[in-house]
Amino acid sequence: MEKIDTGPDNGPEFQRYRTLYEMLLEAIPSSVLLIDQDLRIVSVNRNFLEKNRRTLPDTIGRRLDEVFPAIIIDQMGFAGRIRQVFEKNFHIKGERMTYRAPGIPLRIYYYSILPFSWKGVVELAMLLMEDVTEQVRLSEEVRRVERHLASVVESAQDIVLSTDMEGRILTWNTAAERLSGFTLYEVREQNFFDLCAGDDLGEMENVFANLRAGRNAQMAEWDLKTKDGGRVPVSWIFSPMKDHLSQTAGVVAVGRDLTERRKFEAQLLQSQKLAALGVMAGGIAHEIRNPLAVCSSAAQFIMEPDISQEFRQECAHKIHAGVQRASMIIENLLRFARPSVKTDPKEINLTRLLEETLSLVTNQARIQKIELHSQLAPEPICINGMEGLLQQTFLNLLLNAIKAMPDGGVLGIDLGKTESEAWVSISDTGHGIAPGDLNNIFDPFYTTAPAGQGSGLGLSICYSIVKQHFGTITVDSEERQGSKFTVRLPIREAEAA
Amino acid sequence: MSDQSDLILIADDEPDLCWALEHLLHNQGLATRRALSAREALDLMEQHHFSRAFLDAKLPDMDGLELARRILEIAPDIRIIMVSGYFYRDDVSIQDAISQGLIHSFISKPFLQEEILKVLNA
Repeated sequence: MEKIDTGPDNGPEFQRYRTLYEMLLEAIPSSVLLIDQDLRIVSVNRNFLEKNRRTLPDTIGRRLDEVFPAIIIDQMGFAGRIRQVFEKNFHIKGERMTYRAPGIPLRIYYYSILPFSWKGVVELAMLLMEDVTEQVRLSEEVRRVERHLASVVESAQDIVLSTDMEGRILTWNTAAERLSGFTLYEVREQNFFDLCAGDDLGEMENVFANLRAGRNAQMAEWDLKTKDGGRVPVSWIFSPMKDHLSQTAGVVAVGRDLTERRKFEAQLLQSQKLAALGVMAGGIAHEIRNPLAVCSSAAQFIMEPDISQEFRQECAHKIHAGVQRASMIIENLLRFARPSVKTDPKEINLTRLLEETLSLVTNQARIQKIELHSQLAPEPICINGMEGLLQQTFLNLLLNAIKAMPDGGVLGIDLGKTESEAWVSISDTGHGIAPGDLNNIFDPFYTTAPAGQGSGLGLSICYSIVKQHFGTITVDSEERQGSKFTVRLPIREAEAA
Repeated sequence: MSDQSDLILIADDEPDLCWALEHLLHNQGLATRRALSAREALDLMEQHHFSRAFLDAKLPDMDGLELARRILEIAPDIRIIMVSGYFYRDDVSIQDAISQGLIHSFISKPFLQEEILKVLNA
């Protein structure tokens, strides 16, 4: 402004600059006011008038307190600040102002007061007001969404945690703190693997390698270590966390506490076992009463007076053998009926396990005039697994096969292996499965048996046990021809290698 | 030595059970023949004349009641005693078999010698 030599006040040059000045002022998308030393408004642009619903005549020449609500003048200390600008040639920058005036929607401004000097003297003060209502609203919205997301994660019953690509923990929600006893502060930057009690580090690294390679969600069941030295069974889902460029930047793990489910599964297994025992009861009675009858007869012979020493010996041997046989049967049953304590997988000789399981049903099969054809490989076939659970699976399949042949038939049990897996197939020549039922037989509570004769849980339990062993169970069946169930289980790695 | 009319058939797949019955019956001066399956029992029926037969209810190749029916076809005069650990005395199938004359009596395992002797003298 200083360079402009105005000449006569109404010259054409002056008029041109004046128009330019007004155009500039009107075009500025902020409110611009010029205020003199008496706090009167000297100039104002359209932006201010529109926002405050004022006209030029009732604004120009008015004092600040006639134009601005008194509350703003007071709160902002406007008068004092403007005076400072005049006296000290001083900029007041970037203050926030909440503009509440009657009849006008609430607005939020950033304002600055700048000195407007003429030849070194502050002639006027310029009040610049920028409306930031929208920006403030947006950032509040962003904060609200952030708070909402955080509260979703924090309120979740499931563990929600995030790690970097190497597995170092970045966040850890309340559920994770509650289940593990560790606070975020204690686990931050720690490797997630170190907090898992599983001994299969290779498997864990594999999951993260897959995520790094861009693969989708990975699932696993690993125990979580707790602060008090215990462990909690957890079912995990790991998902890649993408950044704004869709690059995998980290991993989100959601984990669900399996304690309750494990308890329920154990109860289910146990009730299913008792049901299996019910099916076997007839065979068991027969099997035990035979040796009992032999013992009883031999004992009665011994009680007779004049018998030979040799015959007495023979009777004693029969009694001894009979008692042993009966107690063997009872021991097998007890071992089966006892709740299987879920232990870590150990090496199992499938050949021996199948022989033992077969011995539990041999009698039931004989009663139903069922021929047993078993081809168990002579050499032991070993896998890693939970013996009690696998025995329950095979027993279920054997009892199903026997049940399918009320009028006799052939029960086949085969065991073999390939390089990577062992397979057991159990076949019958019974009534078979209707094609319409084949898709459902592994579903819980699906049964074609009349009420009271089958819970529909047996095969679903077999299925879940085989899954737990990372195996598969399949069925081939033809109506009136028979069924064949095949269980495939991975051979333990040491042997496969 | 007993005469032909006192020859007794014992059919049970458990050899020790045959042993027990044999011993008991031999003490009574009776002769026995042993069959470990229904097939063997029917073969013996073709070769000998038996006055009585002790049959197990569950033989590996045939149901005891079915065997009783086949035996009666060969020798309608024979008295059949079922000895079983599978049935109860008051099982419907046993009661039916007795009322139909398929079996003469039923003895459950384990048994007392007197029970066997009683049915012999009946």
